[in-house]
Amino acid sequence: MSDRYRQQVVDHLVRPRNAGEIADPSGGGESGDAACGDVACFTVGISDNVLERVRYKVYGCAACIAAGSALAESVEGKHLLDAARVSKTDLEDALGGPLPAGKEHALTLVLDAMHKAFEDHWNRTAGEMLIDSRGDRATGGRSVVAAMSGGVDSAVTALLLKEAGYEVATVTFRLHDGERGSRSCCSPDTVLFARDTAHKMGLPHFTLNLKELFDRRVMQDFVGSYSEGKTPNPCVACNAHVKFHASSFLADELGFRHVATGHYARVEEGPTLARPVDESKDQTYVLWPVPRDLLSRTIFPLGEYRKTEVRAIAEERGLAVAYTPESQDICFIPDGDYRGFVRKKVAAEAGDVVDREGQVLGRHAGVVDFTVGQRRGIGVSAPTPLYVTEVRPRSGQVVVGRKHELEVREVEVRDLNWFLDPEEAACVQVRYNGSPVPCTVEEGDEGRWVAYLDEPVIGVAPGQSAVFYTEDEERVVGGGVVARRDP
Amino acid sequence: MTDRVYLDNAATTPLDPRVLEAMVPHLGGRRGNPSSLHAFGGSARERLEQARERVASLIGASPGEIVFTSGGTESDDLAILGLARSAGSDQRHAVVSCVEHAAVREAAKRLQSEGFEISWVGVDEDGLVDTAQFAASLRPDTALAAVVWANNEVGTVEPALELADICAEVSVPFHSDAVQAAGRVPIDVSEVPVSTLALSGHKLYGPQGIGALYVREGVSLEPIVYGGGQEKGLRSGTENVAGIAGLGEAARLAGEEMDDRVAHERALRDRIMAGTAEIPDVSVNGHRERRLSNNVHLTVAGAEAESLVLYLDALGYAIGSGSACSSGGHKASPVLLAMGLTEREAFSVVRITVGKDNTAEDVDGFLEAFSTAVAQLREISPLYAG
Repeated sequence: MSDRYRQQVVDHLVRPRNAGEIADPSGGGESGDAACGDVACFTVGISDNVLERVRYKVYGCAACIAAGSALAESVEGKHLLDAARVSKTDLEDALGGPLPAGKEHALTLVLDAMHKAFEDHWNRTAGEMLIDSRGDRATGGRSVVAAMSGGVDSAVTALLLKEAGYEVATVTFRLHDGERGSRSCCSPDTVLFARDTAHKMGLPHFTLNLKELFDRRVMQDFVGSYSEGKTPNPCVACNAHVKFHASSFLADELGFRHVATGHYARVEEGPTLARPVDESKDQTYVLWPVPRDLLSRTIFPLGEYRKTEVRAIAEERGLAVAYTPESQDICFIPDGDYRGFVRKKVAAEAGDVVDREGQVLGRHAGVVDFTVGQRRGIGVSAPTPLYVTEVRPRSGQVVVGRKHELEVREVEVRDLNWFLDPEEAACVQVRYNGSPVPCTVEEGDEGRWVAYLDEPVIGVAPGQSAVFYTEDEERVVGGGVVARRDP
Repeated sequence: MTDRVYLDNAATTPLDPRVLEAMVPHLGGRRGNPSSLHAFGGSARERLEQARERVASLIGASPGEIVFTSGGTESDDLAILGLARSAGSDQRHAVVSCVEHAAVREAAKRLQSEGFEISWVGVDEDGLVDTAQFAASLRPDTALAAVVWANNEVGTVEPALELADICAEVSVPFHSDAVQAAGRVPIDVSEVPVSTLALSGHKLYGPQGIGALYVREGVSLEPIVYGGGQEKGLRSGTENVAGIAGLGEAARLAGEEMDDRVAHERALRDRIMAGTAEIPDVSVNGHRERRLSNNVHLTVAGAEAESLVLYLDALGYAIGSGSACSSGGHKASPVLLAMGLTEREAFSVVRITVGKDNTAEDVDGFLEAFSTAVAQLREISPLYAG
């Protein structure tokens, strides 16, 4: 690789194509910052998913200016899907070959600016729509929008769909500001990583900015639940309000029929959710709130695979994601300290630790630090281990008791989403890593349902999901949120 | 390359044909090693000593105080490391300005990693070293102090006499890098009590790969190259006779022609200053008066240095950029940051350095090209709303 610029680069520098900015664009995007030195801005005019006009501005080295010029020139007039497919390698080819060593960031910079302009276009088009569930406007045939997080599961999902003959467009959501290095074009960044992965598979990649929606429907709910003494599940909230709606929105805009994610689950006729082949990775428990109309257009390719097979596929196809570690934590709290996260958002007030009879056993620093079933951090010594059995946010009391006091035989469930006739509900799962317990269900007041458990279970906390399965435990009948236990 | 105009003389100067002529006899055919006793050796030795006299004469030194090296960087390294390593074990402190050439700066950082404490002396917005801070930084355990004679980026000429006097009073060895200053500023080591002074051939219309270090009689230095003990043991290795002959001739010509060169350069420099001043949002860095005769250093708002340099290169004009962009990120010049420029400003600087061979036509052509390049880059810059 030469450390001098090619003639094509100099030509783009001295005779830039498509320089400037559109006064009234469909979308605009900027990438780079002061620390990096270079800044690129793209404005685009889009009509019927065709890039009618593309203009760019760059402050930066010759490589950045030339890359911006070559990119703008090459994508103008193209369909969005084709523009979103342009990879760093394609761009290098347009510049006559590899850039000098150390200049590769120019490609990332200008591509990122263009993609942010697309993102802005989608977000402008969506307006407030992403907040509500959308009907199935699908028109396309074997076409699918696949959500990509940058991890192995979602990458293999997109790959399997492509190999099955689908027209695939990938999308990565900006959900919060916690992504590593998300401020700089030169740092590891999940969005850039996902884009590279998509481009290596020859797939178009888009981004959607869902930070506001995610904050309102997931993060605020997460914090609020803790202060109400409940145990929230943010993945459930995201599936209920964010991820599938956003994928579906993009599918509608592109005229695509399906949406897909890398969840381990299956969709069966109905539609209903069914357990995946790899039961150890089963994610049906967090998917119950996906609205029926969205589930009916959803594909979960990984439902037919074991995790080990997914990793093998990734390795075989040379996807770098194959080596990324499994993500376990809540995505917006990468360090796993969700107490610390909640405490930063809400003021915690000290209160009493009491037993079931109301006798004060000690003090605590705030109800947000406690969930039902918790054993550690109670700060009261006792001959037998104490567990949190109830959190009372109004009085600021944390009730503790012995393990058997956690046992529950009756669970009230709200916000139900039924896929099948409730009569088919034969068992209920109340924890992510729990197993279903046989039960009978009965409709209660105000749309609530009560599950009568055949055997007592421990650690049922308000705010968690209760998911009902069929007798063979293979299909999800429906699910809801635990309102309270043992009235 | 013939139509191209070269305005990057601070990076390197063209080789003067008269210098080349002085070198040619040592580049081909039979030649001797200056250390050999026979006639071949004697002839080489003669040229070596003649060159030594000429270099000494340029700065008012005795020939015995000149050590030939491979260039400015080696001269600086030999001075900084050599002075520090020959100092007493209780002298583990050095005073260094924030506007040094990388050769001095990195050698000082090397000392730091060896356990030396470095006091970095700041500058004002023109790049002039704060003499009060400099004086206050000297301590009983100070092994050496170093301030560049004239800065290689912005061209500010430092108060070498004052700084050297301050050091002499407290007997701290003082090193000055005079690579850019030599031949442009009168330097007389009999007046200015420096201990060591670095020179380079290729900034003086001499060859690349040759330099010299002035080492005042009585100053002790630890060598950094070991071997046959050439150059009084301070720089072992068979001498680069052709290079040294070239440096000698270049030094002689620089001394003889200094006044004419400086007047010529200054006229061209001022013509560039005046021309670029007509472009909005272009500002001069460095001291206006205490400035090298050949240096114009500009901040060009909204235009990034590398793209501006390459744009002008495409138009046939060679100038220098003030920053280096490598592996995904720029490195802003520490000198400019020390002068108070922001990172963004430090990415938007260029250095135009004229030489004795440039003409007024070169400058006029440059000004036109510069104005075009700046306008074009600003047109596509998201950071300039002119």
